[in-house]
Amino acid sequence: MDFLQNYGFLIVTMIQQGLLGLSLYFPLMAGQLSLASPGFYALGGYIAAIMGTNAAFAPLRESLGSWIFPLEWLVAGVASAALGLIVGVPALRLRGIYLALATIAFVEILRVVALNLSVTGGAVGLFGVPQPFGFVDRWQYVWIFGPLLVLVLLFTARLERSRVGRAFRSLREDELAADAMGVPPTRYKVMAFVIGAVLAGIVGAMSAPFLNTWNARQGTFDASIAYLAYVLIGGSRNMWGPVLGGALLAALPEVLRPLQDWRLIINGLVLVVASLYLPQGLVGLFRRRRAAPLARPATQEVAK
Amino acid sequence: MSAPAPSPAREPVLRAEGLTRRFGGLVAVGDVSFDVMPGEIFGLIGPNGAGKTTLFNLMTGLTPPSSGRLRFEGRDVTGLAPHRIATLGLGRTFQNIRLFRGLSALENVKIAQHARTRAGLLAGVLGGAREEERQVEARAWDLLDLVGLANRAGEDAGNFSYGDQRRLEIARALALDPKVLLLDEPAAGMNSAEKHGLTEFIRDVRARFDLTVMVIEHHVPLVMNLCDRIAVLNFGQLIAMGDPASVQRDPKVIEAYLGAE
Repeated sequence: MDFLQNYGFLIVTMIQQGLLGLSLYFPLMAGQLSLASPGFYALGGYIAAIMGTNAAFAPLRESLGSWIFPLEWLVAGVASAALGLIVGVPALRLRGIYLALATIAFVEILRVVALNLSVTGGAVGLFGVPQPFGFVDRWQYVWIFGPLLVLVLLFTARLERSRVGRAFRSLREDELAADAMGVPPTRYKVMAFVIGAVLAGIVGAMSAPFLNTWNARQGTFDASIAYLAYVLIGGSRNMWGPVLGGALLAALPEVLRPLQDWRLIINGLVLVVASLYLPQGLVGLFRRRRAAPLARPATQEVAK
Repeated sequence: MSAPAPSPAREPVLRAEGLTRRFGGLVAVGDVSFDVMPGEIFGLIGPNGAGKTTLFNLMTGLTPPSSGRLRFEGRDVTGLAPHRIATLGLGRTFQNIRLFRGLSALENVKIAQHARTRAGLLAGVLGGAREEERQVEARAWDLLDLVGLANRAGEDAGNFSYGDQRRLEIARALALDPKVLLLDEPAAGMNSAEKHGLTEFIRDVRARFDLTVMVIEHHVPLVMNLCDRIAVLNFGQLIAMGDPASVQRDPKVIEAYLGAE
């Protein structure tokens, strides 16, 4: 148990950051560089913190008991989807770096709004977010973040083999050609953006009890850049990339703690070196070339 | 300028009415009108920069026309988004090949079946679309077979030779299940043996899929051999239209290609 006492928080943080890395992966699948995740993460966290601490929700907490937590995740997911649609439809008219800038602006707007509302606790934030399912230790959050990660990875693996996943990838490869081949670009760009938003929102809702407190520092420009680094270091063309990148970069400051102030320099060096020498990200090191030709399924028909 | 229809009883599948596109002061396509009849192989020729590809882009919605109309099976499709026009049944290839280079040949052909399939996000993820997925896969293999690339289905499209990429683009366009196929310089980059086979291939595809074909091509013997009718563009203007023999004799065409005496 000593191990869990010492490293449980770090392990859960690694899973959590891997999930946030994945939230950037969905828009990237459709070729869209969005840095909006911290905004939805903050929104989900506020929803959970408010539902967990605000007096207005006391009767609901009384009657639902621990079921209030799944409800928080659900509300966070739905609210993130709604906001994702509202933001995504106009923002996804922009391309490349302009979309990235617009999504950073979105994160900043949400942060300033949260700072100035009273329901969010203003600059101080919200404290004493109740713990779910009688959790007494941080490491126990493995039991909610772990299954979420497994579910999201399963979802992603299935998605990539489906019609919608193919539509996403066709947009990443060549939006104009995809359009001319019958794939509606706006529809699928918005869909990919909303999937990422929902994931970030749910992770936020799970994170508010985990961190016990929630404030405007949870969704910042710094977080946008951190998540982007997860994807760059891990790799953006495979779902394991963002997970690996998020987990490793979340652990790096802890591993380098003995170096004190030098760790920030090492941290930066790792980023620079990785982007120079690992253009495919870390997963690029493991990527096997598809050697064997695809096997044709047994049943054959004549075209048309 | 309007074409005399070969058989007046049938409706044209495509009708361009005064299609015009200006880029600043340049008239890339100027007041071009023509009819394409069902089942025809309709050639579009002209010197470099005559506006042939721009005309294809106007027809497929990639470039909005400055003025003029395009009717597809009687329906006005001017100004529709490219994916809407593609879904109605206008498939195309690109002069400067626009395959999904990082994806396998098989995936390229699967993607173009998007509009003729239905599976949504949840059906795809939860496994509710297995039968549809199986059909998409089988059809993709059949189309790769048709263009002779089934043995390389798993390779990235970007690794293919020029000629193979052109063939793969045709397979991808056919996967849309189009009524009209627009081929932009299908023989470019092919060797002479491949060019020779292309005429038979296009005729075969037209018969098999019950298609109307519009083709831009520079290789004159191929065009003369292949096409039922030919339209000639020069500086964005339609200067001649008719069967191959009469177009070849047309003094305006000779002048455009060889220069004025």
